[in-house]
Amino acid sequence: MNAYDKGSDARRGPAGEGAGRDPRPAVPATPAHRPAPDAPPPASDTPASAPDDEPDGPPAPHSPGTVPGPGPGPDPAADPETGPDPETGPDPETDPDPKTDPDPETGPGPVTAPPAEPRTGVAALSLRYQIGAALALAVVAVGICVHLGMTFLHVAPANTVSKQHRETIENWIYPEFEQNWKLFAPNPLQQNVSVQVRAEIRTADGASRTTGWYDLSARDGRAIDGNPLPSHTQQNELRRAWDFFVSTHDDDNRPVGLRGALSEAYLRRITAMRLDRADAAGADGAVERVQVRSRTTNIPPPDWSEEKISDKPVYRVLPWWTLPEDETRGGIG
Amino acid sequence: MNRFSLALSRGIARVTDSPLGPYQTAVIRIGFSLTWLLFLLREFPHRQELYGPDGPWSWQLAEQLVATNDAFTVLLWSDSQVWFEAVYALAVLWSLLLLLGWRTRTMSVLFMVGVLTLQNRSVFMGDGGDNVLHLMAIYLVFTRCGQVWSLDARRARRAARARARGDRPRDRVGPALWGVLGFALLLATLAGRTEGDRFIPVLLWAVWSAQALWWLAGRRAGSGQPRILLDVVANIVHNGALLVIMAEACLIYATAGWYKVQGSRWQDGTAVYYPLHLEYFSPWPALADLMSASGTMVMLVTYVTVAVQVAFPFTLFNRRVKNVLLSFMILEHAVIAVVLGLPFFSLAMIAADAVFLPTSFLRRLGGLTARVRGGPRPRRGGTSLPGPRPPADSPAGRAPDPVPGGVPAPRT
Repeated sequence: MNAYDKGSDARRGPAGEGAGRDPRPAVPATPAHRPAPDAPPPASDTPASAPDDEPDGPPAPHSPGTVPGPGPGPDPAADPETGPDPETGPDPETDPDPKTDPDPETGPGPVTAPPAEPRTGVAALSLRYQIGAALALAVVAVGICVHLGMTFLHVAPANTVSKQHRETIENWIYPEFEQNWKLFAPNPLQQNVSVQVRAEIRTADGASRTTGWYDLSARDGRAIDGNPLPSHTQQNELRRAWDFFVSTHDDDNRPVGLRGALSEAYLRRITAMRLDRADAAGADGAVERVQVRSRTTNIPPPDWSEEKISDKPVYRVLPWWTLPEDETRGGIG
Repeated sequence: MNRFSLALSRGIARVTDSPLGPYQTAVIRIGFSLTWLLFLLREFPHRQELYGPDGPWSWQLAEQLVATNDAFTVLLWSDSQVWFEAVYALAVLWSLLLLLGWRTRTMSVLFMVGVLTLQNRSVFMGDGGDNVLHLMAIYLVFTRCGQVWSLDARRARRAARARARGDRPRDRVGPALWGVLGFALLLATLAGRTEGDRFIPVLLWAVWSAQALWWLAGRRAGSGQPRILLDVVANIVHNGALLVIMAEACLIYATAGWYKVQGSRWQDGTAVYYPLHLEYFSPWPALADLMSASGTMVMLVTYVTVAVQVAFPFTLFNRRVKNVLLSFMILEHAVIAVVLGLPFFSLAMIAADAVFLPTSFLRRLGGLTARVRGGPRPRRGGTSLPGPRPPADSPAGRAPDPVPGGVPAPRT
């Protein structure tokens, strides 16, 4: 579990690194200005560029004025350190009216300014708005921590913390953040599970006959063979329906809860659809009942292995199911 | 102490002042939307069987299951065939438009609606690839993923040029789109279709309101402070979402790796042999036999797979090692796509991997793509720098309407 903790810590890495190597996009017009990832520093930047365009931007008073902001406060203060670098930020973005928002409606205030690069960033905000930004930063930071923490506990093995807070975690994760990444783990499946079905057909003359077993999984397998783009209908539909059935039924094939009933209906409908496609009932017959079984065979161990395992298939045979009226004639899918 | 506060303030400035990773977020936007688009097109002949009202996982079955888990899906709003066809077609359209980066923020929301709707409708049809797309579709909504390689970026450049000529480009499509979608959302809410889990409906309303705010703040002349604040908030949210996306990718690899460590087959070095011989994952049996002919090879691949998955999150601290592992993982996923017959899973994973690609590589890739397409005008990522930073405001006296993009402006 230690390992998991480290794993989650490592997340912090990417952001930092990504941030480092990827400065924000600059303006096409000023390609020379490699944009800095850092804040456009008002204090140092202003004297450099503001004088020509921004007569009304008194740089000095601005910076101290904004410092006290709780969250983002420190950054204007810090900027003098990072600032001297000429690359900082699209230059003319220095605040025309950094102190406050004195003229919200009356446009003409900074009219004199040519259409320089717009001001952005926390440094361009007045104290009131900086507090807003700080608040947003805090909310997002907390949200991320909670979300990543919950996700971590959701994918980690059951442990002290996740057992204690199971309900909280589930409320957060379900329905939209459910996930499972045990890909071929802890062990890959080592058996081929074939789902097979046979049908009882009522023929036009009222007689009844039972078909042989249709190996639906083998048909899926043949559809996948040589197919660069297998469909979910071939690769997942029956395979996962069977998993769903097994996980919601006890050893005597009795359904557990609503999901058990749903999985039974699902499996039955899949078999009815596929029997119909295979034309199992013939021209004038109708499928009355179906019976499903699974045939589990061990994958033979590799040639280079000394292992010996049984190659005898194991069957799990389900009871006969009667098809509802609408399923006897196909019409599924 | 001083150094600490300095670092802190730098960090804060970095995450508030600009949306980081414009190329990385653009490439995952393109990757995920392309994966979903190709999947929907590939499954078009099978759409009824997968998600249609009369499929094996019928509308009634889905309704009963969703009643217990409250997952979001507009397909259960009606069991009519017309509704289903319309939703499927729209899901295709939305993923295409997100791929192109047209009204990116709005399309990312609609893309998410499409992905969640279809996947939650038939949850037992999916696999790991669908799971990745499901999560990433939600996370993408929070990012400014159309800054480069998008129609929005092109529109922003044109708007900037127009402004430079003294024109005042007006956007009518944005407000119209916003109005139509708001109306649809209102209808759905009034009809009680958004009952159940609150997360997605709240998210939809939140984005819709935020777009209105963005537009209003942009129209307002004056100090432009609200607009800058919104810009900062959008940057914070974007950077947060980018972190979550990266962390999610790390969680995927960490989980996959650490659980494998515990498995006896991964320990004895035979694990890779088995999936290659599963009926459902062996489209090329001859190839699988060839790959598993040597016990030593299988053992090496088995061990390296686990080692790489476990190690990946830690290598992020070192660029060079990270890039080596990243190329290995992308290669491995490409192999899985063919050998195990999992093209869409692999494509989704490669898209997720792409968030870790270095900017320099992505820019070269962009330049190459532009040259292959043969356009004389350089596109994003070539030599020019990315630049769709629509002005947070323009001088008040000049244009009262600084938002180039109207409601869903490119950066929103």
